[in-house]
Amino acid sequence: MAAPLPQETTAPVVASIRDVGLAYWQQQAWSDVLHHVHLDVHAGEIVGLVGESGCGKSSLSLLMMGFRHPSAKVRSGEIWFDGSDLLAMPEADLARVRGNRIGFVPQNPTTALNPGMRVGAQIAEVLMVHGRVKTREAAMERIVELFGDVGLPEPRALARRYPHQLSGGQQQRVTIAMALACDPDLVVLDEPTTGLDVTTQEQIILLLKNLRARHGTAMLYVTHDLGVLSELADRISVMYAGHLVESAPTDVLFEYPRHPYTRGLIGSIPRLDGRRPREGRLTGYLDRREIPAGCPFQPRCPLADDRCAVEPQILGECAPGHAVACRNADSVTPLVLDDGGVRLARADSPTLLEVEDLSLRYGQMSLYQRLVPSALPPVVVRDVSFTIAEAEVVALVGESGSGKSTIARAISGLLTPIGGRIALRGKELEGGIGARSSDVVRRIQFIFQNPDASLNPRQSVGRSLARPIEVFFDSSHGAPRALVEKALDEVLLTADYAGRYPDQLSGGERQRIAIARALVAEPDLLLCDEVLSALDVSVQANVLDLLERLRRETSVAMLFISHDLAVVRRLADRVCVLYHGQVMELGPVDAVFEPPYHPYTLTLLMSLPGSPLRSGQPVARSEPEREPQAQGCAFAGRCPWQPDARCYTEPPPLHTTDRGVAIRCHLPLANLADLARPQAADPTHAMQTREAGTTP
Amino acid sequence: MAAGIAATPDALNRAGGLPARARRFWRSAPSAFRIGAIILTIHILLALLGWVWTPYDYVARVGIPLSGMSWEHLFGVDQNARDIFSRVLYGGHIVILLAVSGTLLGVLVGAAFGLTAGYLGGWFDEVVMRLFDAFNSIPFLVLALLASAVAGPVASGEPLLLVGVVALVYAPRVGRIARGAAQTVATQDYVMVARLRGERVRDIVRREILPNCSGPLLVEFALRAGYAPVLIGSLGFLGFGVRAPLPEWGRMIAENRNLIFTTPEALLAPGIALATLVVGLNLFTDGIARMIGRSTPHAGA
Repeated sequence: MAAPLPQETTAPVVASIRDVGLAYWQQQAWSDVLHHVHLDVHAGEIVGLVGESGCGKSSLSLLMMGFRHPSAKVRSGEIWFDGSDLLAMPEADLARVRGNRIGFVPQNPTTALNPGMRVGAQIAEVLMVHGRVKTREAAMERIVELFGDVGLPEPRALARRYPHQLSGGQQQRVTIAMALACDPDLVVLDEPTTGLDVTTQEQIILLLKNLRARHGTAMLYVTHDLGVLSELADRISVMYAGHLVESAPTDVLFEYPRHPYTRGLIGSIPRLDGRRPREGRLTGYLDRREIPAGCPFQPRCPLADDRCAVEPQILGECAPGHAVACRNADSVTPLVLDDGGVRLARADSPTLLEVEDLSLRYGQMSLYQRLVPSALPPVVVRDVSFTIAEAEVVALVGESGSGKSTIARAISGLLTPIGGRIALRGKELEGGIGARSSDVVRRIQFIFQNPDASLNPRQSVGRSLARPIEVFFDSSHGAPRALVEKALDEVLLTADYAGRYPDQLSGGERQRIAIARALVAEPDLLLCDEVLSALDVSVQANVLDLLERLRRETSVAMLFISHDLAVVRRLADRVCVLYHGQVMELGPVDAVFEPPYHPYTLTLLMSLPGSPLRSGQPVARSEPEREPQAQGCAFAGRCPWQPDARCYTEPPPLHTTDRGVAIRCHLPLANLADLARPQAADPTHAMQTREAGTTP
Repeated sequence: MAAGIAATPDALNRAGGLPARARRFWRSAPSAFRIGAIILTIHILLALLGWVWTPYDYVARVGIPLSGMSWEHLFGVDQNARDIFSRVLYGGHIVILLAVSGTLLGVLVGAAFGLTAGYLGGWFDEVVMRLFDAFNSIPFLVLALLASAVAGPVASGEPLLLVGVVALVYAPRVGRIARGAAQTVATQDYVMVARLRGERVRDIVRREILPNCSGPLLVEFALRAGYAPVLIGSLGFLGFGVRAPLPEWGRMIAENRNLIFTTPEALLAPGIALATLVVGLNLFTDGIARMIGRSTPHAGA
């Protein structure tokens, strides 16, 4: 079933995936993970392959390297590369192609790099194996060249380091350098930015774009994140349950997606401007046991009818360069965005939680550490203050290591502060859980990031939900079944879920159960620690809807910890931006996302894929130039706009804008308002205006 | 969300009548388990039989000492004129009960301390672990003899003392395994959730930690139980077993060991009984261990 493929670029084809089918041996039967996949990558082109977890995208990316799982079998098709079929190639020939003609960048550089080898030696190994260099000196020269290419500073010194001495972003740069070492014709990237912070992700994307412009390397970028592809890819192919369902140039795909799955996927991405498509988002989840003979998406499709379940849908051209596998593709119209919902002002309700000058060290102090002050763990949160009003949603945002989760742990009582106070309804909270009354413990509930780990696998859902009722309320008559059913109903699950175990649930359902378990305690405050980040995009959208409903319909307040600014924009009333345990900016969500910006907030906003702010702006350094002193501004080392040495040594003053945003920065407000304007892009200019502003 | 989630493989396994499920279970079990189960069943049936009926009374003098095997006395008569077959038959339930209850007690005590130490960490962990180390550093036979000696002549020979001695030998060894398993589980978020409910240590260990460590603990129980008859037999052989004239197999071998060259058949019955019991238990428990290892739940599987 050869399908007509979009052919619009005239560049030669580097790699051509033809009708590839792959199956895994699972429980006494072959289960297909790839069905008749067609994909061409042209020279100098970046092709994005997107899909939810379990759709087969990683199997395909490994297959591009000639790898397959021992239990996998190629059912059909071929992958043409340089005149030969990678799937039929003997192992010895494949070894000459891998790493040499086709580079691979893995998802997790921490596990992909050998921890016992210097990074330079690891790249030299690639070069030697493929005979690119003969001597160590030549290898070193090439490594210096490569490290310069991928933007790593001081290449010679860096090559002598071990992987653990590099940051996550630097490690990923090293794996990219390794993939590029032999000047490959094609680089396959498997979720290369998934584990990285937004600002680091942004830099890696810029780097990849640069590399493509300079070397013309073709890339196949595999990811679950459409947002990243909107920045980077020339063409995007969407995969669902091992079927390619749509393939189009990037701008066309975002403007006029034809396949219901693509439309749902795009609709599921939270947008920074709070707008969203009028159509419904994705429902349900990919269940490989439920796939019908016809269209794999039929069980979740809003347009589907009975014919869809039996008629296979074949990828066919619907417009030049745009292929889709859906009978109803012609009946859909371009996406129309709605305005964001109306936001209720909640600032005037009474204060629920007060955090004042909170300072925290990580972990519990041992006796030894108490006696020897120099052995104390470092301070991770310094003098943080904020309040949460009744029924208000306050977001804590910042990169990993900013102390967001640590603050939540302190509020919950898992960590005893070394300074400052936390008060609930005006009553100061004791440091540890054990010292708090059961009623206080009940009023603050914690929801964890990963529902796989936060539900006891040996307890049924009913037991998990009943336990808080037993602990917090009258336990004499056990947990009334009705309460458990009510809790399930509140998170839109039916009563029969009570008898299931966590391994029988999908990720989204597990997170709903975790939310329900927090809600049965009837809390005043929910601490949500990155509750969406472990979930697939479509599931994320569903859980986000649930949280929005809770915010609308109940009076529970939330401390919502997230690194995803778009989600924060949709859910939060106020935002607190943290960097290295210090509050940089705090204010109503709409005002924080508009000028005047704190330099760090602007850095975060610019890092978002598709951000309108990013053009022509200086980018923050990925590593601090030098460490600021304890009293100085924590962001000083990375800030591209820093006025002078004061940033490193003096505490930044607090500015308050007329819209109620508090900003801590040495730059005066007028300059901060100008940061995002193109003329302020030049740091020297920013400095001049600052000097003009401060001169009496 | 999809309300009508498809039947999971687990649910499918639950379908069908009891006999059908038992047959499926039997067929999917490792062959070690099946052979072990058959041997054990025979042992248990014989032990039950010996408990209620033996051809002769196990203490009665019924024949000519050391007269060899005959139809009246299948495995001969010992030097005290007692029927060896009757004594072996009667001894079965003693050996099995002592072995199983001693192991059970050892696993319970070891798990209680090990799981709590693994969860709590800190000084409690230090103290318990150093204590376990101290016990583990003494060879188990020496430890068992020491404990019997300390218990004094009054308690010596009591079946309960033997149970205690087996438990004492096993508890520190099981405790180490339990602590390791608990340490992994203790870092899971659901334990944190329980702590955040203000649950007591006892409840957290029992509800959150124990069920998730049951795999390794059952394996421990199975492997230790297989060796317990040897331990009890060794103690009996050295004269620290149950008090005479109770026919514990190790003691019977000891009583007749000086006759091994003149009338070896006196050693035959208790020897075969002990050997088959140990082999059967080991096969059975090895099979269980393998099945548990196969079905241990993984977080996020």
